[in-house]
Amino acid sequence: MSTTTAAAAPLTKKTAKPPNPARVRRRRRLAQWGFIAPAVVFMALFFGYPLVRNIVMSFQDYSPSTFFTGESPFNGTDNWSKVFNDELFGKALWHTILFTIGSLIGQFCIGLGLAVFFTRRFPLNGVLRSLILLPWLVPMVVSGVVWRRILDQDTGVLNSFLGTLGLGGDTPWLTSTNMALISVILVNVWIGIPFNMVILYGGLQEVPKELYEAASLDGASAWRSFRSITLPMLRPVITVVLVLGFMSTVKILDLILALTDGGPADSTQTLGTLTYQNSFVQLDFGAGAVVGNILILISAVFAVFYLRANRNEGK
Amino acid sequence: MASTVRTPAAPTPTTGRPKRRWGAMLFGVLVLCVMLFPLYWMVNTALQPESGLLEVDPVPHGLDLSGFRSALTDQGGNLLTSLAVALGAVVICLAISAPAAYGLAQFKLRGTRTIVFGTLITQMVPGIVIANALYSAYVDLGLVNSYAGLMLADASLGIPFAIVLMRSFMVAIPREVIEAAEVDGAGRFRTFVRVVLPMSRNSLITAGLFSFLYAWSDFMFALTLNTTDDVKPITLGIYQYIGAHVGDWGSVMAASVLSAVPAAVLLVLSQKYIAAGITGGSVK
Amino acid sequence: MSNRFTPRVAVPLTVVSALIGGAVLSGCGQQRDPDVYTVLNSSTDESYHRWDAQTLARCGKRLGVTIEQQSVPAAQVMTKALRMASSKSLPDVLQLDASEMPTFAEAGGLIPLKDLGLTTKDIPEGIVDFGSYEGTYYGAARTVNTLALFYNKDTLDKAGLKVPTTWAEMRAAAKKLTHGRQYGLALSAGGAEDGVFQFTPFMWSNGGDETKLDSPEVAGALDYWKSLLKDGSLSKSTVNWTQADVNDQFMAGNAAMMINGPWQVETLNSKKGLDWGIAEIPVPEPGDDSVGPLGGGVLTVPNTGDEEREKMSAKIIGCMSGEQEQITYALNSWMVPANEKAAAEWRTKVPELDALADQVATARSRTAKLGARWSSVSLALQSAFQSALTGESSEAALTRAQKRATSGN
Repeated sequence: MSTTTAAAAPLTKKTAKPPNPARVRRRRRLAQWGFIAPAVVFMALFFGYPLVRNIVMSFQDYSPSTFFTGESPFNGTDNWSKVFNDELFGKALWHTILFTIGSLIGQFCIGLGLAVFFTRRFPLNGVLRSLILLPWLVPMVVSGVVWRRILDQDTGVLNSFLGTLGLGGDTPWLTSTNMALISVILVNVWIGIPFNMVILYGGLQEVPKELYEAASLDGASAWRSFRSITLPMLRPVITVVLVLGFMSTVKILDLILALTDGGPADSTQTLGTLTYQNSFVQLDFGAGAVVGNILILISAVFAVFYLRANRNEGK
Repeated sequence: MASTVRTPAAPTPTTGRPKRRWGAMLFGVLVLCVMLFPLYWMVNTALQPESGLLEVDPVPHGLDLSGFRSALTDQGGNLLTSLAVALGAVVICLAISAPAAYGLAQFKLRGTRTIVFGTLITQMVPGIVIANALYSAYVDLGLVNSYAGLMLADASLGIPFAIVLMRSFMVAIPREVIEAAEVDGAGRFRTFVRVVLPMSRNSLITAGLFSFLYAWSDFMFALTLNTTDDVKPITLGIYQYIGAHVGDWGSVMAASVLSAVPAAVLLVLSQKYIAAGITGGSVK
Repeated sequence: MSNRFTPRVAVPLTVVSALIGGAVLSGCGQQRDPDVYTVLNSSTDESYHRWDAQTLARCGKRLGVTIEQQSVPAAQVMTKALRMASSKSLPDVLQLDASEMPTFAEAGGLIPLKDLGLTTKDIPEGIVDFGSYEGTYYGAARTVNTLALFYNKDTLDKAGLKVPTTWAEMRAAAKKLTHGRQYGLALSAGGAEDGVFQFTPFMWSNGGDETKLDSPEVAGALDYWKSLLKDGSLSKSTVNWTQADVNDQFMAGNAAMMINGPWQVETLNSKKGLDWGIAEIPVPEPGDDSVGPLGGGVLTVPNTGDEEREKMSAKIIGCMSGEQEQITYALNSWMVPANEKAAAEWRTKVPELDALADQVATARSRTAKLGARWSSVSLALQSAFQSALTGESSEAALTRAQKRATSGN
């Protein structure tokens, strides 16, 4: 309790007057809100305001002239019907679902596997674990160029490597409409593994060793311990990783642009790239805002479902 | 895989079995090689500045550091800018997130759940949407082309994540510890600083690290919120080598490698804290 | 005082307020310095930035003003300019890609250059059209570029082939030159606008038009591309290649011929031992015109509302696109000067790019017929030829594309 009031001369908590309980409670609550208020204000400004603006924009006719005249007349649901009638929208939606689920499963499972693996003691454990985060430091522009080279059908390292292993060696990673989405998912998994691994590893460290010892004394197998001890205890961390992972994956844009630009033939077009295309290539900002809002809606639905499903678990 | 020998997620007591440990290490190295191969390729290209992008040999035939030298002279200032902005963003982020995480974790205030949900919602908003809206606001506030403006914007990249992460670990701090501190005469704030923060040191460092990485690799805000070259972090700086017509990819790679160095150093240094577990085992 | 302002709250609030306050105080307002003019362009890379800086220094000295340059990545110029428009902070001179200029003009953002005193004499009509929207001249080009057929002289000589001039010849030559790691021809069918840029010479030389994508002429052009792919003379990776990738392939010896533009010459020349030649893009039948796309940037004067500044901006553009400046820029960038007299002089200095100058003479602007609608048509066309190159029939892909292009807008 800060002693900003000049009146409170004695530094002990005991004051002469008995404090009014209601006032004390209110002051206490205000002080508690003081902890949270800056964050709430910040987020309202930096996220709430753009969100509201985006929702409004999706009902407006927002075109390049708007930037000059400031006029963006309301056009009701015109933007929305235009977007839904675009055949590209259905495709993009489907790709988004595949991309997000595929990426999450890949990133999470491999991340968890690696996290478990790294809980063992072996030489260089710490060094290897810290180096795994390095892919994160590569700018997306560079990642895109590097991966495009690696995945090139004719001259890419990946195909050469697979060729020497006798596993084919001419897979059209980025050039076939069937494979392109899979390739993009794989690259995204590569990017997401470090994040998942670090967080899950931190969570694993929290599980008390005594539980495992007790379980193995009871004769539980490794898999059984994992299922009954590790997973439940990791629940809050898993929630963080999956929910945050979902939200950042579903709107991914720069990776896809760098790798395939939505192609070939729109086979890697997602809602994220579609909103970019609408807003910044076709300069139809209203339509872009619509797709953006749909993205946000999908995230919100997922968050609600997941959190509700987890509500009863220990908090 | 023989599950009988594979122990559950717990460190094996070091009673012999040295072959097992070397096997694990080799596997770890293999995993790292696969994960870092694109980076290897990046460094490899940077070490061969004279070759065209496709003619890079799989293994560098010399140690041609000229690419790195020129990248350093060109981008040195930009690296410092990135460092300043990222550090500022981390400070702002932690200053705002840590108390909020604590409040949301331990205080029984009405509306906590809504705020937590709201924090999650912020992650749903695509970056472009935010950048565009911020630009007009920044113009009105005069924050364009300023370090402060960019630090605030980059802090926003880490704040929701930091709050959610730290909260999920602060929730585990037993009430008894906090109440014990308060009984001893410490106020809310002092309890927070003297007791809660040290106990959450590892989640604090994890959040700070991720916040730093997000800010360091930000391109969107740096591009949108700057109209001059006054504030030019390295993510913008590398475009010096990529023009509308040609691209000097060797220099781009060299600059990217250079830009990875400070962050990599931070990573290795902070790994010790992340390794000790997010609450450092101080929760008995 | 209430406990509301505990240090925990006070500290972040004061920090933030101080930062904002400090920024506002130190940040300059929207006042424009009467002697300082700004140019926004896409010359991010070091060489182009330097050449432009030199030009601006010379022009600044001549006109008695200081000219500042700001460069952003090419893909960002449009959005940046629009944002600047909304915050009333447009630059004095804006260099746009010619295909983006109509969008800006349509929104009322540009001042017609003739109104500001710039003339178009000595500029070929095609290039005036290139910088015009609905008949009004908005953008002055310093240099223009187009596509041509580059070939590896040694490789062709060794195979005993002469440079192809028709589609049939090119198909045969490409087939003969495909062996081992080397493909006969490399072109870009990916990389967003790059691929469309590369398709236009085939589309237009065959009589096709961007307003009618489902016509037999356009399908014919697309079928030609498919035939090259089927022969194996064109790599399947083409749907993922940008023009820069194509250049890399050619330089690495993975392709004997390539379709590309003169901006690659600087990089091409850096490769020792590569003896390259340049020719017009082959045409469907002997005697047809080889109609390629006109590319390049145009200098425009945004509508800032300040007539005096706009007049001076036009003078700056006039200086930048003066004959001598054009030749200097053209020699640096390996592109063709817009001004007729400058182009004639340039031809004498760079005889090896003769074919390119000829190609420019018959070239066409992408946005001439469609104006601001070009971007939607381009997206539809991209999707169509990529779809056709990955298996679909040309007719089906193009019919769908035409529907898509005409529905949206």
